[in-house]
Amino acid sequence: MDMLLCLSMQPHSILHFLLLMCSYFSFAKVMIQILKDMGITEYEPRVINQMLEFTYRYVTTIIEDAKIYATHAKKNIVDADDIRLAIQCRMDQSFTSPPPRDFLLDVARQKNQTPLPLIKPYTGPRLPPDRYCLTAPNYRLKSIQKKVSSSAGRITVPRLSIGAVSSRPSTPTLGTPSVQSVTTKVGTPVSLSGQRFSVQIPSSQTAASKSSTPSTPMVQNVLINPSLIGSKKILITTNMVSQNSASESLKRKHEDDDDYDAL
Amino acid sequence: MAAVQDGQLNLEVEKDIKTEITNDGSGNINANSSSPGSTSSGGKSKSPAGSGEDQQTLFAVLQFLKRNKLTESVDILRREAGLSADADDSPVSESAGAGSGAVPNVGADGGDANSLLSRVSVATPVAPPTTAPPKVVAASGGEDQPDVNVVLSAYSQQGDPVLYPLYYNGLKKFIESVLDCHRAELSQVFYPLFVHMYLELVYNNHEIEAKQFFEKFSGDQECYYEEDLRILSSMSKKEHMKGNETMLDFRTSKFVLRISRDSYQLLKRHLQERQNNQIWNIIQEHLYIDIFDGMPRSKTQIDAMSGSLAGEGKRDANKAKVFYGLLKEPEIEVPLDDEDEEAENEEGKPKKKKPKKDSMGSKSKKQDPNAPQQTRIPLPELKDSDKLDKIMNMKEATKKIRLGPDNLPSICFYSFLNAYQGLTAVDFTDDSSLIAGGFADSTVRVWSVTPKKLRRVKSAADLSNIDKESDDVLERIMDEKTASESKILYGHSGPVYGISFSPDRNYLLSSSEDGTVRLWSLQTFTCLVGYKGHNYPVWDTQFSPYGYYFISGGHDRVARLWATDHYQPLRMFAGHLADITCTRFHPNSNYVATGSADRTIRLWDVLTGNCVRILTGHKGPIHSLAFSPNGKFMASGATDGRVLLWDVGHGLMVGELKGHTDTIYALKFSRDGEILASGSMDNTVKLWDTLKAFDDVELDDFTAATGHIHLPENSQELLLGTYMTKSTPVIHLHFTRRNLLLAAGAYNP
Repeated sequence: MDMLLCLSMQPHSILHFLLLMCSYFSFAKVMIQILKDMGITEYEPRVINQMLEFTYRYVTTIIEDAKIYATHAKKNIVDADDIRLAIQCRMDQSFTSPPPRDFLLDVARQKNQTPLPLIKPYTGPRLPPDRYCLTAPNYRLKSIQKKVSSSAGRITVPRLSIGAVSSRPSTPTLGTPSVQSVTTKVGTPVSLSGQRFSVQIPSSQTAASKSSTPSTPMVQNVLINPSLIGSKKILITTNMVSQNSASESLKRKHEDDDDYDAL
Repeated sequence: MAAVQDGQLNLEVEKDIKTEITNDGSGNINANSSSPGSTSSGGKSKSPAGSGEDQQTLFAVLQFLKRNKLTESVDILRREAGLSADADDSPVSESAGAGSGAVPNVGADGGDANSLLSRVSVATPVAPPTTAPPKVVAASGGEDQPDVNVVLSAYSQQGDPVLYPLYYNGLKKFIESVLDCHRAELSQVFYPLFVHMYLELVYNNHEIEAKQFFEKFSGDQECYYEEDLRILSSMSKKEHMKGNETMLDFRTSKFVLRISRDSYQLLKRHLQERQNNQIWNIIQEHLYIDIFDGMPRSKTQIDAMSGSLAGEGKRDANKAKVFYGLLKEPEIEVPLDDEDEEAENEEGKPKKKKPKKDSMGSKSKKQDPNAPQQTRIPLPELKDSDKLDKIMNMKEATKKIRLGPDNLPSICFYSFLNAYQGLTAVDFTDDSSLIAGGFADSTVRVWSVTPKKLRRVKSAADLSNIDKESDDVLERIMDEKTASESKILYGHSGPVYGISFSPDRNYLLSSSEDGTVRLWSLQTFTCLVGYKGHNYPVWDTQFSPYGYYFISGGHDRVARLWATDHYQPLRMFAGHLADITCTRFHPNSNYVATGSADRTIRLWDVLTGNCVRILTGHKGPIHSLAFSPNGKFMASGATDGRVLLWDVGHGLMVGELKGHTDTIYALKFSRDGEILASGSMDNTVKLWDTLKAFDDVELDDFTAATGHIHLPENSQELLLGTYMTKSTPVIHLHFTRRNLLLAAGAYNP
């Protein structure tokens, strides 16, 4: 780690050494000498090869760049100015260094002036807004015309915390009819997800007072916008799970649903 | 006047125009200003001949005119000499004038004029002539006029760089001749002076002189500066300096020295007596001398505290009040129907309840004056699961073994096999049930230490099937099919250098060379968030003892405080001169300690973001930090193989534990703070007696005021045991709740 730290800062000094000494030694010996000069005594033998490879690649890149600059300036030969320009451009591109200290102090002073934000109580897993999380699914379901058992292609990995709340990161789809019914009956806990879906609900299954209706949810056009789906803060005890399952499983759970609805 | 002007005409310059112009210039000067002008014009006659230098003279004269706001003369001169408008930019005088407090500003300008042209001393109170050119040279820290700086320095003394070794030698002789008691203190000046003089030479493109200077005097420096000197030796051109931001920071920040008043007077008198005050100027500009009244310090005392890249900490840097006490534990009622076998066995269950409560909460209801307010920083409130955890913690604590010199802990070592030297970070959960390893192949692996396997939470489809009312719903939500001894977490794109479990065992943090810190869920074993902010490798990260907050520190020399629900950091702790290699929270979560490659440890206040302590003394980059459980003391380990003990409240070093021969990567206090365990690259774990070490500490007012420390040489007595491993460097240590020591490392044959 230390070696990487000190060497990564000065590729041009390596170049300098190399150009000075290549006329007298073989390249590997030069590399060994450089390592010795920088105070590195313990290293694996493969390091020499890696360093040589890096040096070769760096030097050829610089010289190629310099050739381009020389032709651009309509010169026949590549001279020191071209090399200098090539090195500078590469420095800004690959070998950037962290910002200077006064800039950091300034930014830090600004940032530290804002007071620490208060913590909202009981909000479940404390994560940033969904678009800053990596919890969104990275796929979308195409719209289909027929009833689909879409439990196959889903990554439904709900996350639960032992506390009173849970969350659900995945696609869920369908089974919205139950969403609807639940929202009418149970209310709040599930409504979060209900608001986010842009799902069309077959008219035949509207507003059943019991959630037992969704026997065959005709799932059409389930184009869920992935970015909207993320961790939800939904109580585990409600039957939001019923939303996830495909039609078949919904049937089985009617009794369960009823139980929970009755709560 | 006339005579002086005639003297002007005898100037060496071949260009007549130039002579006239200088005449005009000096005429104007004579008309508008008093002594500086006249003496400068008198001085011009002494300037050496040469066409290249004529040009330089021209520039220098232009600068002088500009500085004195003689704009018409400037225009005339430019026109006559046929110069382009941007040949000379902003004058250097600001930086020169700002640099030295010794010479008044007017004198500074006049001095510069002298520097251009002569060695005749100006009619200013203090400054001898050679003050000015070196001052200009020294002030080249303002990087706007390199050309003119070079010109001025080369012009005025032609060989100013050659004189550097003479100055240095002169100082060396003086310090060697001084009384013993002062010599140690004054020798502190050598290193920063050497480095700054060398950097000046390099900056002004005197490569050969710089090399000679380096060769001559680098051997004299203290041995613990060897690493820095090696880096310096590789920098022989100005371009080299630009790439190394640590050296740039070193040039612009002040090196702090603590010298007693008597020694300081000696030094000041000597330097001001002599003709060439260049060293005095460099001292004025680049060094901050913290003077204290009292006995001069001995060599050992100085050696103990020095070693960092920026000198020692200023005394007022360590004066802020630090609330090192612990936060009050919330009172938790132990439910009577708790499945506590012991409680059930005894009849006096209610009776047992009371002592438990006492051990949890503080006995006194008063606020500990050294502890921060409960609401000083917002902390997450306890969830039910946290309360359950705390009850478990209490139960375990009752079975805790009391450790001591006669009762050493057993050590259980977890060796990572077949890691091919790729193990870069390890962490244990607080209840020691899980172990996580970060690897150089960018994976994070989590193992279960107990026979209980790791399971994922079921998919949503299956979750709907479970009976939510059953008692063991928490087991039922886990998917048995995914049970395994270990889980691998993929996501980073670089070696994982820091790893930390959350106190409630729900989350895992990992920081990597790719510049991100990732939050993983331990229920689903997937990545939840990637926190981007550092654009450079992040060397360490840690969760707060209460969860919700975490810190990270890396190559960009800044430590950041984050909260899990903010995608940007809440606080930025900037101030270190080199990478931050180790970050730790204080047990009360109000302070953060960072150890850095600039060999200092800084303590930051979470509430304000200010640095409240600067602790110097290590001679190598610091790789491990540990706070004692009572929050009063801190231990730190570095590449120099020493463990240093610090009193957080006073900001002083209270102990030094020598014994390790290689970098110390792991430090941990036992659960009650009686024993400190240290693990190192030399394949050993050493146990130290901290009760004794902290007992010996006598911090009276005098010590706290002056910072004199008397470290007893008792490392041998404090060492309770050394345990060798089979060629396995120890990179993490953890005391279980019952005070069993767990250690981890990768087998490295």
